[in-house]
Amino acid sequence: MDEAVTAQHAQPPPAGGPAIPDGDDAVARRTARRRTSLGHILGRWGLVVAVGLALLAFGLASPDTFLTADNMRSVLLQSSAPMILAVGLTILLVLGDFDLSIGSMLGLGGASAVALMALHHVPWQLALAAGLGLAVIVGLLNGVIVAYFGASSFVTTLAMGTVLVGVEFAFTDQKTIYEGVADTYLTLGQSAPFWGINVQVWIAAGVAILVWLLLEHTEIGRFFHAIGGNPDAAYFSGIAVRRWRVLGFVLVAVAAAVAGILVTAQAGSSAPQAGITYLLPAYAAAFLGSTSLRPGQFNVPGTVIATVFLQIIQTGLQMLQLSTAYINVVQGAILIVAMLLSRLGQDRA
Amino acid sequence: MTGSATALASLRGLRKSYPGVQAIRHVDLDLRAGEITGLVGKNGAGKSTLIKVLAGLVRPDAGTIHIDGRQAHLGSPADAARHGLAFVHQELALVPDLSVAENVLLGLGFPARGRTLVHWPETYRDAANVLARLGVAVDPRRPTRSLSLAEQRLVMLARGLAARARLVVLDEPTASLSNAEIGHLFRVVRALRDDGVGTVFVSHRLDEILDLTERVVVMRDGTVVGDVATAALDRQRLIAAISGPAAKAPPARRPSRPAPAGEDILQVRNVSRSPVLTDVSLSIRAGEVVGLAGLAGAGRTELARVIFGVDRPSAGTVSVRGRAVRPGRLRSALRRGIVLLPEDRRHQGNILDFGVRSNVTLATLRNHRRTPRLALPSRRSERVAAQHMVERLHIATASVEQPVRSLSGGNQQKVVLAKWLQHGAEIFLFDEPTHGVDVDGKQEIYELMRELAAEGKAVMFISSEFPELIEVCDRILVLRNGRIVAELDGDTTEATLLKHCFATDPTPST
Repeated sequence: MDEAVTAQHAQPPPAGGPAIPDGDDAVARRTARRRTSLGHILGRWGLVVAVGLALLAFGLASPDTFLTADNMRSVLLQSSAPMILAVGLTILLVLGDFDLSIGSMLGLGGASAVALMALHHVPWQLALAAGLGLAVIVGLLNGVIVAYFGASSFVTTLAMGTVLVGVEFAFTDQKTIYEGVADTYLTLGQSAPFWGINVQVWIAAGVAILVWLLLEHTEIGRFFHAIGGNPDAAYFSGIAVRRWRVLGFVLVAVAAAVAGILVTAQAGSSAPQAGITYLLPAYAAAFLGSTSLRPGQFNVPGTVIATVFLQIIQTGLQMLQLSTAYINVVQGAILIVAMLLSRLGQDRA
Repeated sequence: MTGSATALASLRGLRKSYPGVQAIRHVDLDLRAGEITGLVGKNGAGKSTLIKVLAGLVRPDAGTIHIDGRQAHLGSPADAARHGLAFVHQELALVPDLSVAENVLLGLGFPARGRTLVHWPETYRDAANVLARLGVAVDPRRPTRSLSLAEQRLVMLARGLAARARLVVLDEPTASLSNAEIGHLFRVVRALRDDGVGTVFVSHRLDEILDLTERVVVMRDGTVVGDVATAALDRQRLIAAISGPAAKAPPARRPSRPAPAGEDILQVRNVSRSPVLTDVSLSIRAGEVVGLAGLAGAGRTELARVIFGVDRPSAGTVSVRGRAVRPGRLRSALRRGIVLLPEDRRHQGNILDFGVRSNVTLATLRNHRRTPRLALPSRRSERVAAQHMVERLHIATASVEQPVRSLSGGNQQKVVLAKWLQHGAEIFLFDEPTHGVDVDGKQEIYELMRELAAEGKAVMFISSEFPELIEVCDRILVLRNGRIVAELDGDTTEATLLKHCFATDPTPST
């Protein structure tokens, strides 16, 4: 709507005082500030509440096994790689872009490193660097094609995903590789340096903090938010829109490769096409996270909590020893309910 | 009030408040068939809420609406359409990928062939008939996207006609239309009036109100403060009624100034960009406001985009103090101190979800680093800068963190200007800065442009409203069909400007 439509129902400012902001949004926000109703609290903190409820419910359902330190450590461990991917994806979503090749990139990142070590006897440092280097190349390709040539990111990254699966097969010959992985590489996924908590958890936490700092406290982060908010206005303000969009694609690809390396390091092996299953959960976590903490905006803390929430449900349902059919139905239903609950808090008539 | 025509819609005791804001305090209003009623008032006077109530978008807290003497419940846009009310909102409510015919008949149902299939020939014929009534020569098969803005507005009007609307509300319908297009629109509205359709015409352009309407309703602070026959009004009295007793009368014409003696800052040499610009040369001196007049499509916005480096010229150069701007490179133009306040403020001016602070510092974030080497902005430093701009430009906002989306049009424009003042620009290109801005806001923008010039900046002012060009500018250039065809001094008249704008293909304005 044009501003003359939205900005009408206010009175002129009282003399000398600040203006009363006008427009529906402002009205909604004022309402929001005034009201500390249950709905509003749920809107902001709904996801945290949901985590608490899920812990409580599964704790009661599996009293001896669920709420144990070991199990909690395991939940965190299993959240780690998905969290790194989802946090990386958050960067791109803030920019207003998206990337469907990140699942395949996760698979390729891990598989290429493992294959280089196991089949070509490359030192683990080089193998690791190769996995990350591939990610940089893939991110540059995606970014340049989308940002500079104006191709649809949907089709481009979907196609790129197919290409990456092919490249992965070229590395691994479609075989599961479980021998010849360097020991040092394995420690990346299997050691537990502090309090018995796996190194992956610490890496994921580090990535989350770095990305949070990047998005919320640096110039680049401000530019990313500006581009996502209004790419034309950002461009007209002199922001190098295309360059930053390319960087976004590179960062998410690197995050995917890091996650892929950790997955293979933990398993001590690489399985064909392992990455695809990580794609949709990453989007689910980022979107679920965007309903919370800073409702309506993709944000790192929201993504982090959402990733953990999804893993709690996964682990909890598995402990109940339900059939896979039930687990799928219940998991999906819980996700939908969580979305609905968070909508409650968003002021709308 | 004239009592000759019967009341088509009667509004009694309407009231609507939002938390903290009484948008409509008390409105009694009769809208009559066969009458063109102008609705004027500042932003925030309550016009839009009133229209939204009629459109079924907002439910009033109290009051009744009678249509044809029967009480009407307007709970949704469908209700409003059923009662014969049609709306042409500023923002176009058309589906761009559908054909014109589909848009005209959208929501009414298409003529059917058999039980389920659309009878396309009949659909196109029906739509063509309605369009013919409006004098719109557009093939109903064309995709709506390919139409000009003016044609799209007429398609919306056609939709109302197809629904047999008896009361049409036009909200700022002339924004970004050329004079010829406005003339056509006015003829259509008058023809509708002669057919007995009632019209509400909302506009900030007072000359149009005086020209077109038969009766003017003035709103202020959520109430109707004037309801007068247009014949009894003139521009001054209308402005006074809109502004209210507190507002100062608009200043008399600026005293004539000696031509500023500053040096040429901006030089544009032989710039062409096919087919919109042909061999355009101009220069602007420090301390000068240069107007750029012309009809829509004459190439004014295109010229501003070339100077700002958004579009690349096919020939010619832009330079600042003799140093060339790399063609088509916006960031090069910015480095030379050229800035643009774009016509499409909402899409190109501000990040609407950002607060005032983040918008003001968007182009100069580097200056707010905590330490010079690290790209970490200090919000405190940003806030100081934003607060300074809020005070300097009198931006009406609750705080510097207020999202820009919630500010009025004039204040949004000031936020864009604040961003460029922070940038330390020397050359300011204002493209239609007063579009959709109320009377007081316009005056402030004029004063800001004059202040910039007084500080030695070079200002280019693009506008479709000749009176404001004459009021503000030292010189006025007229652009026609992509060429500069006249250079007039600031004391020129509207008639002269019009003559130059229309020189080759004269079209009566109304």
